[in-house]
Amino acid sequence: MSTVITQDEINAVFPTVSATMADALGCDVEDIKPNVSLIEGLDAESIDFLDMVFRLERAFKIKIPRGKIVENARGTLTEAEFEQKGIVTDVGMAQLKSYLSEVPADRFKTPMKVADIPRLFTPETFCKLVVQAQRDAKAAA
Amino acid sequence: MSGHFSAFSFVDRITAFEPGVRARGAFAIPAPIAHFPACLVAEAVGQLAAWTAMAHIEFRGRPVAALASETRFSRDVKPGQVLDLSVEIDDCDDAAVAYHGEASVAGVRVIELRDCLGPMLPVADFDEPVAMAARLALLRAEGAPPGRFHGVPTLRVVRTSTAEPGVAEGTLQVPAQAAFFADHFPRRPVFPATLLLDAQLTLAQAMLAESGHGSAGALLAPTRMMRVKVRSFTAPGTALQLRAALRPDNSQGETLMVDLTASADDKPVATARAEFSARVQA
Repeated sequence: MSTVITQDEINAVFPTVSATMADALGCDVEDIKPNVSLIEGLDAESIDFLDMVFRLERAFKIKIPRGKIVENARGTLTEAEFEQKGIVTDVGMAQLKSYLSEVPADRFKTPMKVADIPRLFTPETFCKLVVQAQRDAKAAA
Repeated sequence: MSGHFSAFSFVDRITAFEPGVRARGAFAIPAPIAHFPACLVAEAVGQLAAWTAMAHIEFRGRPVAALASETRFSRDVKPGQVLDLSVEIDDCDDAAVAYHGEASVAGVRVIELRDCLGPMLPVADFDEPVAMAARLALLRAEGAPPGRFHGVPTLRVVRTSTAEPGVAEGTLQVPAQAAFFADHFPRRPVFPATLLLDAQLTLAQAMLAESGHGSAGALLAPTRMMRVKVRSFTAPGTALQLRAALRPDNSQGETLMVDLTASADDKPVATARAEFSARVQA
């Protein structure tokens, strides 16, 4: 199986993801655009991320490791390779841009604090999480 | 430590315990207190879940704040009654605990919590981990002495005028000092979200009465609370702005839905939706 998550896979889960997010954030589903920033565009906070992950797990009957989205973004890099003193390294930034390919390039600020990475997250980021979790569940079955 | 494990602790004894799986326990509502609001029954269920979750992760973290998809209030409770508590943990790790549970009195369910979620934060930021572990051991053995809880101070919402029909607004001044802060929590006093929710329900109930809802003068009571989301901690002395707004799409029939919001300095603190209807009195 390809490791690249396709647009078709994202499109397949997006309707449920967007409805789930709208419910969690108390907004209209029409506000959930694939590439809107959840924090800056939809006023999501850390509790909302937890809420959304919880709801998505139930909606899709999957397991998403909570609080580990940034770890997933780090990929195969070690923590020291990915960040130094809370700032994403150059190689870390390249990995981050690759993982969050749906995020427009101008939203990656330099230097970027690790704590600010969630500001990049979009509904499409969560679609990819869901697809990956579905793949993991399938592989484990 | 004055008030620790007494001023805002609602589990007297744990009778069945599987860390990270399930638990049963009890709390005797002290007879001398004047009132024990339904939100504190929910607090008791949540505290039992917290013990189960904390034990599962060996007291590295504790659940704080909360999300609760649905809380069903079936009956009021009275001082002198004994709450039988039970929780089932749906998921638990160092990041969060998901659970559901209920409380009953003499075999009759009085409250049910569904799809609750509490993010875990370091225990040591709020309390003494060693003391917490020792307390759990006590609760699982002979239990804590009953009658420790002496009630909470009456928290009044000072109404502010609004021209909007079906809307009530007001200010809840969180006390700078109160006995419950010694228990919630010793190292970081936080205004209990369940007391905030109780104040919000009281405001909504007043708004409905003033709006002429309810039949033959009967006071409508909260029967469900949904989508409870506590977004931030409230420190002692905070002035909270509360708002209760009747939902326009549900203002017909015997059941009324009200949106509840609380904010501080224009930042949201908590949101919820409440259902009001005629409810059985114990």
